[in-house]
Amino acid sequence: MIHFALSKGRLAKESAVLLKSCGVDTSVLEQDTRELVLKSRDGKYGFFLVKPSDVPTYVEAGVADLGIVGKDTLLEEEKDLYEMLDLRLGECKLCIAGDPTRKDALTNPHLRVATKYVNTAKRVFAERGEEIEVIALHGSIELAPVTGLADLIFDVVQTGSTLKANGLAVLEEVYTGITARLVVNKVSLKTQAAEILPLIDKLREVVG
Amino acid sequence: MAYRKLPSGVQDILPEECFLLNEIQNKLRRHFSVCGFDPVLPSSLEYYDTYSEIKNRIPQERMFKFTDSDGRILVLRPDTTLAISRIAATKLGCARARLCYFADKWDMQNAGGLFSREIYQAGVECLGEEGVFSDAQAVAFAIECLRAVGVKNFILDIGHVGYFKGILKECGLNDADAETVRRCINSKDAVHAEKLLRKRGVSGETLNRVLALPALFGGAEIFERAYALTDNCEARAAVDYLRKLNALLSDMGYAEELRFDLGTVKRLSYYSGIVFSALVNEVGAPVLSGGRYDNLAADFGKHIPAVGFAIGLKRIMIALERQGGFSAVSKVGVIICDEGAEGKAYRLFSELTGRGERVRLSASTGRAAIAAERVNAEKIYYVTKDGVETL
Repeated sequence: MIHFALSKGRLAKESAVLLKSCGVDTSVLEQDTRELVLKSRDGKYGFFLVKPSDVPTYVEAGVADLGIVGKDTLLEEEKDLYEMLDLRLGECKLCIAGDPTRKDALTNPHLRVATKYVNTAKRVFAERGEEIEVIALHGSIELAPVTGLADLIFDVVQTGSTLKANGLAVLEEVYTGITARLVVNKVSLKTQAAEILPLIDKLREVVG
Repeated sequence: MAYRKLPSGVQDILPEECFLLNEIQNKLRRHFSVCGFDPVLPSSLEYYDTYSEIKNRIPQERMFKFTDSDGRILVLRPDTTLAISRIAATKLGCARARLCYFADKWDMQNAGGLFSREIYQAGVECLGEEGVFSDAQAVAFAIECLRAVGVKNFILDIGHVGYFKGILKECGLNDADAETVRRCINSKDAVHAEKLLRKRGVSGETLNRVLALPALFGGAEIFERAYALTDNCEARAAVDYLRKLNALLSDMGYAEELRFDLGTVKRLSYYSGIVFSALVNEVGAPVLSGGRYDNLAADFGKHIPAVGFAIGLKRIMIALERQGGFSAVSKVGVIICDEGAEGKAYRLFSELTGRGERVRLSASTGRAAIAAERVNAEKIYYVTKDGVETL
């Protein structure tokens, strides 16, 4: 049986549609259930619905053979796995954003940066030789500069409407093309190649 | 009561599991010895500088560090192959040696589970030898070691760093960018690799070659594709080398277990030729990993070509357990005696253990002790003045 780890929420739904178009029996994902382990009716696939940031962990350990998760999460978690395909779902950008009227927001020697991508933010600023203080948050990141908790934010931006509504703007696009990726456990790809490779080929065809 | 707990990422190995670990080690020890490997045991503590000032240095944040009484920084051995290279370059008089070890290494960054911070390893290093026959022997020996411990259904995934190096050279990247591309290719992430390479002005055929790397894995059929992809000498030489290795291993009786992946470019930069790892479906990370490292000993002052591998004993245990080859603690016989028959009981104990029977002499005396001892006992010898009853 091939096991999938899917990011709970909208991405799981979009992933299910994509997998279905590749011939995977995903009907079990359509029902409303509190079960955490779902098995396809044909017994070929198992699905775990987990928090997005946990997908790389499940796949790295080989508990799930495949996973579908955003590149933002992969950058943050830095797990040892294969990123086989860009599924082109949920495209967004990882940006530095802040108050556009503040002139020192990118040059201030002691920046406070609010983010839920703590590792990525540290890495990005360290690569530029800038010292920052990371303020780890779990949601509503835009609130931080508005309330004075932070000078800048480092976050995913899709349309930018939340930023705008709060008087903020993108100051720099750090990573563009952040999309959902198909990740595969490094052992499973080789030991279960007969099942996994045809599926990857089909997915590649579908996403083009 | 925090002091009664262990730090994260390490664990105590309790008797049931330890019994299996010992069994695995015993089997490997026998196999290593029969095949002519000499044992060596490197020190667990070394100077920080040993690993931080060499060309193939270990990242600072991965090493466990202490301050010595003279103020110098010590580390817990972060890599056994480096330690054995150091020993070979600085202490062994002979030009060649086949060494084996049972030694732990420590990695501060690991979180636990499959990625423990204290890593129990067994391994071999074939020092002072080069050529495809040497590599074939190392791969064959890796397969035999896994067979010896009873792991089933494994594959040996073999790559060659020369292929990647050759193709990457044509891109003309600086070291930092090359490292980023290596990381991308090693995780088969063509998307990010492409972005970076385009930014650096790499395009056309050169770019396509790098982007084709993640898909270059499978059986021996990939060689043709890999060869046709490039006209770089180093890359083509790597393919030719793997072809020869494959033919040699087939001739030696190993064909079924072999797979190839030219997109494998491991983190440790000291590998200079073939790299390989053993994969078992039941474990999400390699159970064995190794390769050729001809330029490593030069870091310690001597040129010694070498090939070797390490076996992750914890992962082998997990594989055996999940494959059902797990043997629990073997039963033990127990000798209990009447009060006054202690001497006689001890003589029986000496006699049985002398014959190699696994038996324990109870410290309690009298028939009342039987019930308590029965739990783990295979059989019970009850010794009285008149004789021995077997229960």
